[in-house]
Order: sequence, then structure tokens, then C-alpha cells
Amino acid sequence: MNHRHNRSGLTRRQLIKGIGAASLLPLMGSAPFAIGGQNAGRVLVVGGGFGGATAAKYLKRANPAIEVILIEPNETFYTCPFSNLHLGGLRQMDAIAHGYAELEDRYGVRVIHATAEDVDADAHQVTLSTGRKLDYDRLVLSPGIDMRWNALEGYDEEAAEKAPHAWKAGTQTELLRSQLEAMDDGGTFVMVAPANPFRCPPGPYERASLVANYLAQYKPKSKVLILDAKDNFSKQGLFTAGWERLYGDRIEWVGLSNDGRVTRVDADRLEVETEFGTVHRADVLNVIPPQKAGWIAERAGVTDDSGWVPVKAETFESRQVADIYVVGDATVAAPMPKSGFCANGQAKVVAAAIAASLESRPAPEAYWTNTCYSLVGPEYGISVAGVYRVQDGVIAEVEGAGGLSPADASDATRALEAEYAVGWYNAICQDTWGTPLGGRAT
Amino acid sequence: MRPARPTHHDAARRRLLRGMVAAIAAIGLATPALAEGPWQRLDAARSVLGDAEPNTQGLVLDLPHVSEDGASVALTVGFDGELADDDYISRIDLFATANPSPEIATFHLTPLSGKPEISTRVRLNETQQVIAIATSHQGERFATAREVRITVSGCLMRNGGDQPEPLSNPRVSVPSSFTAGQPEAVRTLINHPMETGLREGADGEVVPRHIIERFTVSLNGETAFEAELHQSISASPYLLFYLSPDESGEALFEWQDDTGNSATHEASIQAG
Repeated sequence: MNHRHNRSGLTRRQLIKGIGAASLLPLMGSAPFAIGGQNAGRVLVVGGGFGGATAAKYLKRANPAIEVILIEPNETFYTCPFSNLHLGGLRQMDAIAHGYAELEDRYGVRVIHATAEDVDADAHQVTLSTGRKLDYDRLVLSPGIDMRWNALEGYDEEAAEKAPHAWKAGTQTELLRSQLEAMDDGGTFVMVAPANPFRCPPGPYERASLVANYLAQYKPKSKVLILDAKDNFSKQGLFTAGWERLYGDRIEWVGLSNDGRVTRVDADRLEVETEFGTVHRADVLNVIPPQKAGWIAERAGVTDDSGWVPVKAETFESRQVADIYVVGDATVAAPMPKSGFCANGQAKVVAAAIAASLESRPAPEAYWTNTCYSLVGPEYGISVAGVYRVQDGVIAEVEGAGGLSPADASDATRALEAEYAVGWYNAICQDTWGTPLGGRAT
Repeated sequence: MRPARPTHHDAARRRLLRGMVAAIAAIGLATPALAEGPWQRLDAARSVLGDAEPNTQGLVLDLPHVSEDGASVALTVGFDGELADDDYISRIDLFATANPSPEIATFHLTPLSGKPEISTRVRLNETQQVIAIATSHQGERFATAREVRITVSGCLMRNGGDQPEPLSNPRVSVPSSFTAGQPEAVRTLINHPMETGLREGADGEVVPRHIIERFTVSLNGETAFEAELHQSISASPYLLFYLSPDESGEALFEWQDDTGNSATHEASIQAG
């Protein structure tokens, strides 16, 4: 084992263990360990969301000599976090839009706007939609999710144009918002919520909240109906108490045990049918279907029969294919949830692990934190936090760390948590894309 | 948007690679302890098996590798092995090796069940092996096991949630008609807390055990399918099974709980 000593005499490994990988990262860019010259290695990063953009930036911070190329089809990335605020009429799309200028200009990441269409793991090569082939020493996939079309009878890509999922932010978000705006007062917004696992466990319930908030103001005779394939959901007690407090009986939730599981969608008629044959008619129909890892993960051979990507807990390297690291919603990282915060933290661990492996050093010890804020109303925030580390080869939640917002918090506390949610969003977007606090300069 | 399908060469290589990964994983797992089967180490399972050495081919247990909610894990058990022409699977037992009491359920099947496949939802306290044992009418035995990792996702931490009213809202979904010799899926769901007798209530007192113990389906008075349920079945028991009625008539579904109360549901069956 090659332990280099710094001035204080601690080995680098001891130092890393003492401080933890994430907090050490800011030091690494200026640390004397960086390899100079042109042979520090090339890392391709596929996907420019929370996971990919963070990985690209922190690879450069770990060692500026590493050649980092980010492959992302879009020039603007819209975040799923806070897209529910757009649906609820509280935030413009511009305010959840992020670009790649800082990664290029400040960190020297090469950004290629193309789609990664194939991965040849043996040859260490990625093929782009432009036809170009790029070699890599290490590959980071941050592919997010894809919908499992037709896993729910009647719900395919065409149906999603009539009954949007809006579970990837962008045109789908705008479509659902426009349907909501066009809905007559007295209409019913029906949401179909999936079984676990899926992107952003509290997301559907925050969405229901902010839609109800909009309806209460502009279409007061309208209702929200959630048909759920689960009996339990994230922050359930906090959400239901908040719904009662803010929206009375405007939001109705039907769980699995009460025939909430939808088994058929008719997007033309805006109807859904449950397992025991109840047909519900919607005026606006939002179907959040079953999901799987983003498609390029399948092409790279890193997914298993669950459709998600098993990873080594310590480094997030694929368990199935060497030199491919996967971060974010595509991975099986439970008990870490599929959240933007987790993707950002996983990406930092991956950046440190890759920087170490390119220098044939062992990866620093990893741990992660996560906070999920949800807005029940514009001034009513709730949260759940967790701290995670590797235990016996699997990711485990650190007992006694983290927790939920109190059930009996005052209105002032809820209002503060709503402010913290905005602060969290601004901070993580600045960390990931360099977007200035308060939004993108346009 | 999507590129063209992979070439045969690519796909074959990928399959080969994945096969190799699977083979390596299998070698790693094939320790002597597992070769003899976890059912040998569980008294409750051994009492079903007796001295028989079960066939490990034919019985299939489908569970997620990782579940984020141990309170309700979807499970399907099915048999696609070979049996003598006049034999059929008459019993399937399910066990959760690391639950406080390992029995999950025992299903009794008849020729009217048609197809030995059952789906339900189970409680798993922690990461563990789930075992299924099938017994044929003529006494052949099959066993299989599957490891499930239970991890409560941070974002899934919950607080609250109402207990359902016992034996309320029986729901049954039967096909509009059956063709002779063609088993069709029947789904049932009923609200019930399925109190394990292990949980503390808000007052700090242990909530007494209160579960549905037996579910019976009869066709024109003849028992077609029966399930003995234990506390490892999730609240509001869900059962999907098959029926293969040979004539039209009445199907009677009955749930009995451990207080002696029961709920019933009748459905008319069209068979042709």
C-alpha cells in the first residue's frame, strides 16, 4: 500500500478516514498529490444532472490533470427538485434551469452536447449520437431514470403526451402545468403514484400539495385524488397532517389496501382502472409510472434483472462491469433514497474514488448525507434527513443521525423549513452547476 | 431518439459477459451450507419436509432483491416443474427465516385451483432468506429459497398511518368467464390490521395479536383453495391465485380471523 505522508506525518489514508471523503474534497485540488502532465487519465461522464455535473466538477477539483469530458444532450438542465413549484405556479421554468458554463470555463471540463448511444466496456469506448467514439480510462454514468413504458397497461410514450408523467423536468412539466391551467373549476386532478423504488419518494405528495395550493386559490371547487400502489409513503404523517391543516379534504389519498393500485390507463378518455375494477375519471391525469435505470446503463451492461444498477457500496463502481461507476437514481443504493442530494453526494465519492484509482491509491472511506425537503405549502416545509456509511459491505443508515421534522412543530418552524428548502435548492445547484444563488444569470 | 438495435455480435458478447458474471457469482455462493438448503436449518420447514430430500428444481420464488419497505414485500411463488400426469401440487408453505415466528402461510390447492401460483404481500423484519416448500398430492417435495435485503429508505421514514377496520371491504376480482381447462387468476383483498402481537401501541402496551387465520374459496360447496395465514402476512391480506372451475356456479370466499369473526363474498362463475 502506497501511503504518502504529508507534513503532519499522518498518512493520507488516516487523514481521509479522520475527516471523511466529502469534507476533504475541497483540499484536494490544491493538495500536493496531483499528478502533473498529460497522463493522469481520461474520464467520461454521461449525464449532466445532479450526479454527472457534480462528478465532472469534483474530478477536476481532485486532480485538474485528469481529462474530464461531460456528455449531455441538452444545453439547459431542468431540475426535478422544485419542478413541483412550477406546477403549482410558484416558480418559472427559468428558475429551475441550469447550464454548463462554469464546468467549462472555471473547471476545464469539456462538455459535448450529444447523446451517449453505446458503451463498449471491453474496448473502454463510448459511441455518441454524432457517430464519434471516445475512449475512456474510467466511465461515470449518471443516467437518471427511464419510464418502463407499458409496464402499466396503456401507458406508453404516446399516452404520456395526454397524461403526462412530468417525472423528468422540462417539456413534460410544462405540459402538465398547461393542462392544470386549462382545467375547469370543479375538475379533478388524478395522480397515479408508483410502487417502490422510484425517483424522489416524497415527490408525488409534494406535487399533490402544491397542486392543491394552486387549486385552492384559482379553482376552489376542484379536487386532487392520489391513487397509490403503496400503503406507506415518505413523510406520510407529516404530509397528511399538513393536508388537513392547509387543504381540508381537497386531497384524497387511496392506498394499496383500499384498491389504490392502478392497473390500466386510458389516456384518450383520461380514465384509469384499479386492480379491483374501479374506474376513476380525471380532468387532468398525471401518471407516474414504474421506472428503471436510464437506458444507457442497460447498454453498458451494468443493470440487473430489477432494471436498476447494483454498485459497490464503497466506491459506486458497477458490481458487473469494471471501470464503470454509476451514480444517482439509476443505482440500487437503498437505504439512500433516489434524490438529487444523494446523487450529488455519490458523485463526490465517485470522483474521489476515481482520482485515487487513477493513481493506484485505495479509495477514501465514504459516507453520505441526505436531506429531502418537501413543501406542503409555499410557507409550510417538512423534511427528512439521513446519514449513511458502509457497513459489512452495504450502505447503512447511521442510527440516531438525521430524522424527521417534528409532528407538532409550530407554524413558524414550518415556515422556516420552507425557507431552508429554498436555501438547500440554491446551495446544491450552486455546488452542482455553479448557478449563482437566487437563479441563473440570463 | 434511440439508436438502432445492437448487432448480434454485440448482444451475444454482452450475454456472454453477463453469463460469466452470473457464473462467477454462482461459484461464490455455492458453499456447502447453501447446497444443503436453508430449509434444513429451520425447524418449521423441516417439520413440513420430514425426512424427504426436496427437489430444488421446479419451484420458483419471486421477490425483490432489495425491498425498501419490509412491511409489505410483494411475493410470488409458482411451480413449473414436472410431476406425474395424475399428480398435482397440493400444498405450498412459505417461511421467513429471520422473522420472530417464521411461518408466513400455508396454501392448500386442489385440482380446481388449476395452476400452482400464488402472489401475496409479506412482512420481513430484516434481511433474510425466504423459503418455499411445495408438496405434491403423491408426496413429492420441492424447495427453494431467496435472499431479500430489507432496508427502509431514508425518505420512506414514516410516522402515523391509520389501522384498517378488521375484516372490512372484502374485494374479489374474478374473470367474467372461464374456459374449461384454462386456469384464470383471481385476486382478493380485505382490510385487516393483521396485528402481530409484537407491536407496542401509543400507550406503551403491547397490542394483542389479531390476524386473519384462514381464507377459503369454495366452488359450488367444494373447497377449491385454502390459505392458512400467519402474522408475517402484511396488513390487509392480498392473495392472487388461480381457479379452474369445471362448471358454472357460485364461488364463496371466506376470511376468518382469530376472534372467530369472518367476512364472506360471493361471486357467480361462468364456465364453458
